[in-house]
Amino acid sequence: MPVGLLMLAGGAVAGAFGSLLGLGGGILLVPLLTLGFGLSLPQAVGVSLVSVIMTSSAAAGVYLERHVANLRLGMTLELFTAMGALVGGSIAFLLDERLLSALFAGLLGYVAFTMARARSGEPTADTPTAADVEASAEPTAMTTLDRLSGEGYRVRNLGRGVVGSAGAGVASALFGIGGGTIKVPLMNLSMGVPLRVAIATSNLMIGITAAASAVIYLVRGEIDPYIAGPTAIGVFVGASIGSRLAHRIDLRYLRLLFVVVLLYTAVQMLLRAFR
Amino acid sequence: MSRPAGSQTVAAERTIGRLLIVMTYVAVALLVVGVALMVAAGISPLAEGPPFDPTAIVADVAAGMPEGFLWLGIMVVIATPIARVIGAAIAYGSAEQWTMVVISIAILLVIALGVGIALAATV
Repeated sequence: MPVGLLMLAGGAVAGAFGSLLGLGGGILLVPLLTLGFGLSLPQAVGVSLVSVIMTSSAAAGVYLERHVANLRLGMTLELFTAMGALVGGSIAFLLDERLLSALFAGLLGYVAFTMARARSGEPTADTPTAADVEASAEPTAMTTLDRLSGEGYRVRNLGRGVVGSAGAGVASALFGIGGGTIKVPLMNLSMGVPLRVAIATSNLMIGITAAASAVIYLVRGEIDPYIAGPTAIGVFVGASIGSRLAHRIDLRYLRLLFVVVLLYTAVQMLLRAFR
Repeated sequence: MSRPAGSQTVAAERTIGRLLIVMTYVAVALLVVGVALMVAAGISPLAEGPPFDPTAIVADVAAGMPEGFLWLGIMVVIATPIARVIGAAIAYGSAEQWTMVVISIAILLVIALGVGIALAATV
C-alpha cells in the first residue's frame, strides 16, 4: 500500500518537524492531507486532531511525571480552550471550505512570520521582574493567582490567559492544530510562566482542547479510520524521533527551512481557496 | 483549591502522568494492529472507511477486522486526555481541593455538550 506508506512517512515528517520546533504536527499535516491526498479540510482536520492528541498525551505524561507542567493552571485554562473548541468545532461545518483554506493560509503565514522573528536568547518572562519578586514575597491571603502559581514564579494576567485560551481552542477546532503557537507565548510572555513550564502546560492542555473538538468530528463522521491509523502512527513515530534529535540538530537552519515550507504551503492553501 | 500542591497532589500527578503514557502506548498498539490488518487485507487508506459505530467495535475486534482495532485505537486516543481530567478530579477531590474538582467537572460537561450538539446536528 504505497499510499499508506506515504501517509505514514508524511505524518512522520510532520511529527518530527513539529517536535523539533516545538509545534504540533497539525500545522503541516492538514495541508499535507488536503493538498497531497485530496482530503476535504474537515476530514484532514479530524485526522490531525487524533494525531495531535496522541503526541501531546505522551509528552504531557512525561511532563507530569517529572512535575514540570502546572496542572492547576493547565486545567483552569483548558476549561476555556475546551469552550473555544466547542464553538470552533460547531462553526467549522458552517463555514465555506474556501474561507477555511484562506484562514489556514493566514495562520501558516502568521506562524512563519513568528518563527522568522524568533531569536535565540530573546528575553522572555522566564526572568522575574523586581515587581514580580516583590509581589510573590507579600505575605497576603492566598488569591486565585497564588494558587495557580508554581515554584519560583507568580502567574499574572489571568483574564488575558482566559481570552487567549478560548481563542486557541477555536483555532484548534477550525484548523486541527494543538494551539501551542498561541498558548505558549500567551503563558510565557503575558502570564509570567517560565518557558519550560509554559511548553509543558500547553502540551497538557492540547489533549483536552483537541479532544473537545475531535468528539464533534467523530460524531459527524469526519474521521476516517483508514487514514487516521497510518497518519497518527507516523506522527507519533516522527515526534518521538524529533524529540531525541532535538539536541543534535542546529535548529537555526531547520527553522529557516520550516519558514520556507510554511510560506510555500500558505501560498498553496491560498490557491486552493481561490480555485 | 483550598490548599497548595502538597506531596499528595504531586504523587497523584505522577500517577496521572503514567496513565497518560500507558494509554497512549495502548492506543498506538491498537492502531499498529489495525494498520497491519489493513495491509494484510489489501485495503487502501483512500478507500472510504467504515462509519463510526461504537456498537460494532467489539464484534469487529473479535472477528479480527482492521476497522475494529482502528476505531478502538482512535477511541482510546480521544479518551486519554478525558481520563486525565477524571483522574485529576478524583485526586483533587481526595485532597479536598473543591474548586479544581468543579473545574474538572466543568471540562467534562463542555465535552459532553460538544457530543450532544454534534449528535443533534447529525439527526
